[in-house]
Amino acid sequence: MSGGRTIIVIGIIGLALGLQTGCTDRQPDDTAPVKIYRHALDGAPTNLDPVQSANIYASFLVTNLYDTLYRYKYLARPYELTPNLATGMPEVSADGLTYTIAIKPGVYFIDDPAFENGRGRELVAADFVYSIKRHFDPQTLAQGAWLWQNRIQGLDQWRADGADYAAEVSGLRALDKYTIQIRLTRPYPQLPHTLTQGFAAVVPKEAVDHYGREFAIRPVGSGPYRLLSFSGVKAVLERNDRFRREPFDPAAEGYREDQHGFTGVRQLAGSVPPLSDRIDVHFIQEEAARWNAFISGEVDHIRAPTTQLGAVLESRSPIRARPEIAEKYHLLTPLETGFVHTDFNMDDPRIGYHQDPAQNTRNKALRCAIVKAFDWTARNRALYFDLAQVFPGVIPPVTPEFDADLDRSSVSRDVEGAKALLQQHGWTPDNLPELEYGFAASVAERQSFEQFRAFMGDIGYPPEKIKALAYASFGDFNRALKQRKVMLITTAWYMDFPDAENTMQLFYGPNEAPGSNSANFRNEEFDRLYEQSSVMQASPERTAIYQRMNQVLIDECVSITGLSRTFVLLWTKNATMYPDLSFLSGHFARFVDIATDRHEAE
Amino acid sequence: MALLQYSLRKLFYGIPLILGVTFISFLLMVYYGPDRTFELLGKNPSAEQIEQVRHQLGYDRPFLLRYAGYLKELATLNFGFSDSTGERVGSILKRTVPITLALVLPGFVLGNLAGIVLALIAAWHRGRWLDKLIMGGSVIGMSISFLIVIIAFQVIFSTPYGFNWFPVRGWEVHDLASYSRYVTVPTLATVFVTLGYNTRFYRAVLVEEMSRDHVRTARAYGTPPAVLLYRNVLKNSMIPIITRVMFSIPLVVISGSLLIESYFGIPGVGKVTFDAITTGDQPILKAIVGLTAVLFVVILLLTDILYRAVHPRIDLK
Repeated sequence: MSGGRTIIVIGIIGLALGLQTGCTDRQPDDTAPVKIYRHALDGAPTNLDPVQSANIYASFLVTNLYDTLYRYKYLARPYELTPNLATGMPEVSADGLTYTIAIKPGVYFIDDPAFENGRGRELVAADFVYSIKRHFDPQTLAQGAWLWQNRIQGLDQWRADGADYAAEVSGLRALDKYTIQIRLTRPYPQLPHTLTQGFAAVVPKEAVDHYGREFAIRPVGSGPYRLLSFSGVKAVLERNDRFRREPFDPAAEGYREDQHGFTGVRQLAGSVPPLSDRIDVHFIQEEAARWNAFISGEVDHIRAPTTQLGAVLESRSPIRARPEIAEKYHLLTPLETGFVHTDFNMDDPRIGYHQDPAQNTRNKALRCAIVKAFDWTARNRALYFDLAQVFPGVIPPVTPEFDADLDRSSVSRDVEGAKALLQQHGWTPDNLPELEYGFAASVAERQSFEQFRAFMGDIGYPPEKIKALAYASFGDFNRALKQRKVMLITTAWYMDFPDAENTMQLFYGPNEAPGSNSANFRNEEFDRLYEQSSVMQASPERTAIYQRMNQVLIDECVSITGLSRTFVLLWTKNATMYPDLSFLSGHFARFVDIATDRHEAE
Repeated sequence: MALLQYSLRKLFYGIPLILGVTFISFLLMVYYGPDRTFELLGKNPSAEQIEQVRHQLGYDRPFLLRYAGYLKELATLNFGFSDSTGERVGSILKRTVPITLALVLPGFVLGNLAGIVLALIAAWHRGRWLDKLIMGGSVIGMSISFLIVIIAFQVIFSTPYGFNWFPVRGWEVHDLASYSRYVTVPTLATVFVTLGYNTRFYRAVLVEEMSRDHVRTARAYGTPPAVLLYRNVLKNSMIPIITRVMFSIPLVVISGSLLIESYFGIPGVGKVTFDAITTGDQPILKAIVGLTAVLFVVILLLTDILYRAVHPRIDLK
């Protein structure tokens, strides 16, 4: 009897003794006054090759390990482009077809065995050309080609001809060591935005050749950081000492005292990024673990999990942190650069297009009744802590083209109106079609479905006629979308750049499945307006066209839309920063400064 | 010599098992597993691009050819590259399996040892308050979800809401002290959860053994309790105990502990396996499944040998 207890006690004491020593133990690099910024992400990247940096997790790392020609200003909202690797904004020809971009001389890749003598060489214009070509090489499994597909002269043909890197592409050339020329097939005003993304990061051919498939986990870039280690739970980035010296200028980055004064970033004026010596990026999918890691001081910044918002916020309108939170942390609550919406699959004759014009009209009435029955206020309260912003249509509030005065009837619940519409078009509980609500399986999506079913119940839709189509993974769900098998499609769209074109293309006819138009919406007026606007520079005329397109979508009841979530960002007061989770980017991390006395305080 | 012959024969008989396991699991992977094609595509793919990706992933090859390729990989222990990260599968396993072993071994050993000790106590005091206390505790341990235990232990031991003694997560292990620092809370959580199952199982085995004639006789002759429990009860109960312990090993080595690794941010093989299942990373899954099958065959063999070691009357035939 006593033997058993002894074993347990010895075991625990042994571990506890180890703990005591462990508490005073420091890693060698912790003893030096290094600045370590510890960032938490709610998911993990699997691949750090820029051509596969399709999610926010990979993009965060890629934009810190590699250089892009442009980035968004650190502080300016609405977002503004600024040169990064480029010396200035592109020179655009009068016809809008030729972009000439000069890049900075004296930018070097990090030292790596991939280079001759292991010494990183200078980054030149030809590297950019090579990096974009990789997206069109079928061997790379690239995910960013859609940004430039059918846009750059000769690039699609280059792929069709076998993707020979020695072959020139007429629309993508290095004019000299430091000058890039891009010639387009038609004007593409969003081109500079695409050059901010991880997809457009510049890689050296030597490293791609040297590492082969393992290039995906052995990044060799010219960004502010280099990769020290990477696993499924953590990535460690250390300062790239060869990164160009460009002092931080708050005014140039869009500093405004009223918006940014509380962060203290102005004090960093003149400091040379990257301001932290190291970034530890923790990939913590589990909300409880992420929160525990934050409050115990193991990470400096998180997006607060919805489950903890009650403990974080004292008031939702205006948003205010509880005193104990405000004492320890900074709080920022930006709207997401995207939106949540549920599209109808217009290719499904039960709810979408129908050969019979009369049935077509009835189907539209059914869609509109469903839109009217949807309760965005309840959705916001139940799933988004009542912090999200509901808006009509598909132009989210963060875009410059957003119309705050747009009629809100499409997002205002009208149960009686919905019932009347059904009755008027001969829909009864008996002849209503079965609705299949598709989603990638998760608790939140299941809750969304159940709530949707309850909303529809209020207009007399039989609950047994509303079915969940839960897919095991997002890949499976995506496959079903591409194969047009899902009737009601609930997704969140993360915008690639702050331009409503990026959401309009979701409903452009030629982009139908397997393209991004999962609703398979086809409308002559909409498509014509899209084509007209897609070659226009930002202007009031273009905004008016976008807003007309938005109205077409609302009138056709093609989607139950939309809602932009509010992100509740918290960071420790040891960190001087202004975090940004927008547009698949992590450029802000170079500006994060950490108090060096933190470790001494510990 | 007899042992060697027996081992070779047993390994040979294990081949159909390996073939069966790998065939069924590969069938499930190919026809029911996630399709990575649509994870790897960009936003506006054409039908041609979809086909290109499928070709790159080898999805367009006949099933039997793919299965034959799998067997070749298993025979040569060369599983190629992960579909997700591009890293060699061998490197991934080499890096993560030792971490999982270091993580789960203390909990595994302590959980089993403590389980045996508590089971002995409960069995000795069968029907009395001490037995009921231990069994009641076991049921409580079994009833609480592992997830709840992990979160509760994190809060208690690793946050300002509790003692804040240990790190919430991570695995910065470079010496014994740092190892203890990172392994303690996961170990306590593991022991808390496994102890109930182990104790109940071992108690049932020991109670049965204690009702045998030779135990009654030894007791009648006045054998001291500790000697009786060790020599007459525990030693004679080793067959089911060995079976339970040995058959847990493949799961410990290969599958690791997904929840522990996820919540404590430990880059072990359990998390790699889970990620491979959810993303459909077939090269990793093939390696894990194949190696688990091989390990089971080896464990079967070792178990038989151990049976003989603890019970010499068992013949290796």
